[in-house]
Formats: sequence, structure tokens, C-alpha cells
Amino acid sequence: MRRVKAVLRREWEEAVRIRMVLFSVSFFPLFMVGFAAYLVWQGRSLPPQGQAVLMNTALIYFFVLPVVIPLSIAAYSIVGEKEQGTLEPVLATPIRDWELFLGKALAPVIPGVLISWAAFGIFLIASCLILGGIPPGVLSPPWLLSIFALAPFTALFAVFVTMIVSSRTTDTRAAYQFSSLAVLPALIPLIVYSARLTAVNLIFVGIEVGVLLPLNAVTLYIALRLFRREEILTRWK
Amino acid sequence: MIRVEGLTRRFGDRVAVEGLTFEVREGEIVALLGPNGAGKTTTVRMLACLISPTSGRAWVGGHEVHAEPEAIRAIVGILTETPGLYRRLSARQNLRFFAELYGIQDARDRIEKYLRFFGLWERRDEPVATYSKGMRQKLALARALLHEPRVLLLDEPTAGLDPESARSVREFIAGLKGERRAVLLCTHNLPEAERLCDRILLLRTRLIAQGTPEELKRRLFGTRVVIELANPRPGIDAELRLPVVKSAELAGARLYVEVSDPHRDNPALVRRLVELGAEIVSVREEETTLEDVYHELMGDTDAQG
Ligand SMILES: Nc1ncnc2c1ncn2[C@@H]1O[C@H](COP(=O)(O)OP(=O)(O)OP(=O)(O)O)[C@@H](O)[C@H]1O
Ligand SMILES: [Mg+2]
Repeated sequence: MRRVKAVLRREWEEAVRIRMVLFSVSFFPLFMVGFAAYLVWQGRSLPPQGQAVLMNTALIYFFVLPVVIPLSIAAYSIVGEKEQGTLEPVLATPIRDWELFLGKALAPVIPGVLISWAAFGIFLIASCLILGGIPPGVLSPPWLLSIFALAPFTALFAVFVTMIVSSRTTDTRAAYQFSSLAVLPALIPLIVYSARLTAVNLIFVGIEVGVLLPLNAVTLYIALRLFRREEILTRWK
Repeated sequence: MIRVEGLTRRFGDRVAVEGLTFEVREGEIVALLGPNGAGKTTTVRMLACLISPTSGRAWVGGHEVHAEPEAIRAIVGILTETPGLYRRLSARQNLRFFAELYGIQDARDRIEKYLRFFGLWERRDEPVATYSKGMRQKLALARALLHEPRVLLLDEPTAGLDPESARSVREFIAGLKGERRAVLLCTHNLPEAERLCDRILLLRTRLIAQGTPEELKRRLFGTRVVIELANPRPGIDAELRLPVVKSAELAGARLYVEVSDPHRDNPALVRRLVELGAEIVSVREEETTLEDVYHELMGDTDAQG
């Protein structure tokens, strides 16, 4: 664990020096909160039922955040190591492949998830202030479950996809754009919601988990196979 | 400290190194000398357990590369082909990260020791991006030494440095002599290999020759004697015909004659030349340089394809 911690610390020391990463972990979540709050503000004179619909719509932004924040951290993390040629000296130390992998995977996921939750919290407070309370039917268990339990999985999925894509390119922007496809599973709520116009329910959360778990398993498997010493040094472009 | 037997590595159909057998003992600095694509980096990577051999065996510090890669990585320090530093981080942050990976206890003191040693202490907290190439190379060396490795693998430590920086890096490497380490130094710089190393391994996919610089020179070229003539006559080189003469060639006023032992053979050579009517101005031994050896050997393998 000592070596995993060392990787995490170094990743974060580096991340705070990259403008794009700083942007995606600060301005982007704030922007999303502002946008969501604006939506709620517009419906401030609607009856509670209408307010609930608006708020549920706004919540969907908070599905996207835990995907988008880790994406940029992960893309810079891997492409950056390749550009700087730093993986070889790291792999020459006694670090195990899985320790490096775990450090690299957690480095974007931890801030990604924490910042998403924080943004969600800020949004709730803002809505409370705007509407003078949370309308009934908004903070139902399925919603909370989606926000809190699914975020780590969508974030991990985004990171695994970025790892796979990054191993094949030396261009951060290309890595970032390709990996953005990882946002798709997080959009399922949006799609279901707009198709059926129902609030999220338990069945829906179940479906989301049912989709995410196999996706995570498959991408984890591929990423782990790519993340072997030999593979990194001889096959990565 | 390093023992290699029949080490081979292929990348698909391409053979990068083949059938390498050599040894580097404690306290020795050995050069792995070869042109681009000779397989130097590949060899070093196999010894650092970064990539695995296709066949053959190797031991580093008594551990076999297949069996105990982690034990080997803990005692090997490697200077990779490119410095591979985190450019956004400072020298100290870079070294601290590696100190943690190696599990160094007194990391602070150790980092300070090496940063001071390489003259980087003043700039320890500046990002590496602001360093010159020579400073980066020194920082990479500091990183390779941080855990006091018993085996040091240096892949072209002076490549791309200006003469001044190259010299200070060479002086440092020369200072490693006498420490109880084994050093394998990859280079295509001949004078560097000759000056720094106890022995030289000439590599071009296969090991073409090995020995001390002196041995290599002697083995390849007996000794050349240069005789300056006052009356050079074309054809005199062909008329020389003596058993001790391996080859003779007239170029301008100079006659180049190859013999195995000048002390024994020169008197007979001079006598014969006088018989042939030559007027001798001077007789001296010619220095063979390692460069001659290198081109002779590498040229040979070129011809073989
Ligand atoms: N990952 C790889 N995939 C395919 N071929 C490779 C790979 N790494 C090295 N090779 C090949 O192996 C051979 C030896 O390469 P290596 O890098 O070991 O040479 P070198 O002696 O270090 O050369 P240089 O002096 O240019 O650094 C070359 O033909 C190279 O193309
Ligand atoms: Mg090389």
C-alpha cells in the first residue's frame, strides 16, 4: 500500500500543475451546479410537483460529473507518463504491476467522485434556498442510490476506458475525446428519463447496475492486460 | 554480480539480441559498445527485469531474472535511455517519489546528499522543466543511485550532453571505480568506453568480441610499424616478403608494416629494407586506437550481412 500511496501523491502533485485538469475539477463542476440551479430557479413558481420534475432533470448532471472529471485526470496521467518517458524508471523499481495500476486508477476516481458529491451537495443547498425546501419525491432512495452508489462505478468505467485508449495514443486530446465515449452509460438515466418521463425508480437503478458491472468487468480485464510491464514497454505507442 | 548465458530476445521476427554470454564482476565497469540498434537497451532492459528474454538465462546479484524480478529490481539502479523525469515536479518531488517506491528509510537525508553531490541542491524546488539537459541527466543519475544499488545499468549516460557536462558525468562514473558495485555502461562513444571501462563487450545483436581495450587491440591488429622512407619506390611493399610480416602497404613516403612483435621483428625488417635499397628516415610503432578495432570488427559483420 505504501507504493500505491506514493503513486497517488505523485499523481496529485502533478495534476494540480496542469491547467486543463484544474479546469475540469473546478470550473466544470461549478458550471454544472450553476446550470442545474438555474433550471430550478426557473421553476420556482411552479407547483411542488412541477418543481420535482425539474429538479429530477437537473440531477442528471450529477451523473455526468463523476465521469467527466476523472476523464481528464486519467488522460493526462497516462499520456503524460508516456510523453515524458517516466514509466520505464518507475517499472524498474520494485513496484508491482497491480500497485501501479491501482494507484493510476484511484488517482482520478477519488477526486472525481468526491468533487461530484460535493457539487451535488452545493446544488441541494442552492435548491433549498431557492425553493425554500426540497420538493417531495426528489430525494427518494433510488435517486440517492444512483448518485452515491453509481458514481464510483461510472468513474471507474471512465478511467478504465481512458487507460485503454491512452495506451494507444500519445495525444492527450485524442485520448480525451475518444474516452469521452465512456460517458454513455452515465447518460442512460437521461435517455430513460426523457423516453418515459418517469422519475428514477429502483428497477431503473437495477438496470443501470446491470449494465455498469459487466462493462466495468470487461474494461478492467482489458486494462489489466495492457498494464503489464512488458506490454507497456514494448507495445504501447 | 551480473551473469548472462545465451541471452536472446526477439521482437516478432526481429532478433534484437542473440546468444549473449558475459559476466560483470563486483567492482568492475564494463562497456556494452555497439552501434544504433545493436541491442544495448534491450539487454539492459532484460537485466533490469523490464522485459523478459525469449531464451537464455541471466542472474543479477545472485537472483535469476525469471524467478525473482522484485529482488533484482531492488538492487539494480538504472539510468534509462531518456531521463524520464516528471517535468512538472521539482527535483525533490521526483526523488521523493522514487525513494518511496524503493522503500528508503532516511529518504530526506539521502535526497539531500545526492542533490548536493550533483550540484542541484540550489534548484531543488524548481520544476524539472526549467532544468538544462545536463541537469536533467544528473538528476536521472541521482535517481538511479538513490537506493545505493549494487548493480548499476547506465544506458548512454553522456548522450546529447555538451563536452563540459559529459565530462562531469564521466568523472562521476570514473569515481564509481573502486566502489563495490558492478557497472554496465552502454555507449557508442569509443573514447568513453576506453577511458572508463575495465572491459569492453562489442555488441551487434551478437557479442562480437570482449576483453580489455588493450586485449582487443592486440588481438586484432598485431602492431603496425611505420617506416618513413627517403626514397619511396612503388612495389617495395610487395617485395618485402618476410615470414614475420603480416602485411605491408606503401602510402606516400610511408611504409606501414604489420608484425606481431616489433621488439623481435624490427631488426630483421630494417635489414631486409636496406637490402632492397631503401633509405630509412625513421621507424616507429603506430598506435592502434579502439576506433580502429571497432571499425574493423563492425565492418566485418557488415560484410557478412
Ligand atoms: N519494442 C520493440 N518492438 C520491436 N522491436 C524492437 C523493440 N525494442 C527494440 N526493438 C528492436 O531491437 C533492436 C535493438 O534495439 P535496442 O534499442 O536494444 O538497440 P540499442 O543498441 O539500444 O540502439 P541505440 O544505440 O539506438 O539506443 C532494434 O532493431 C530495434 O528495432
Ligand atoms: Mg539504446
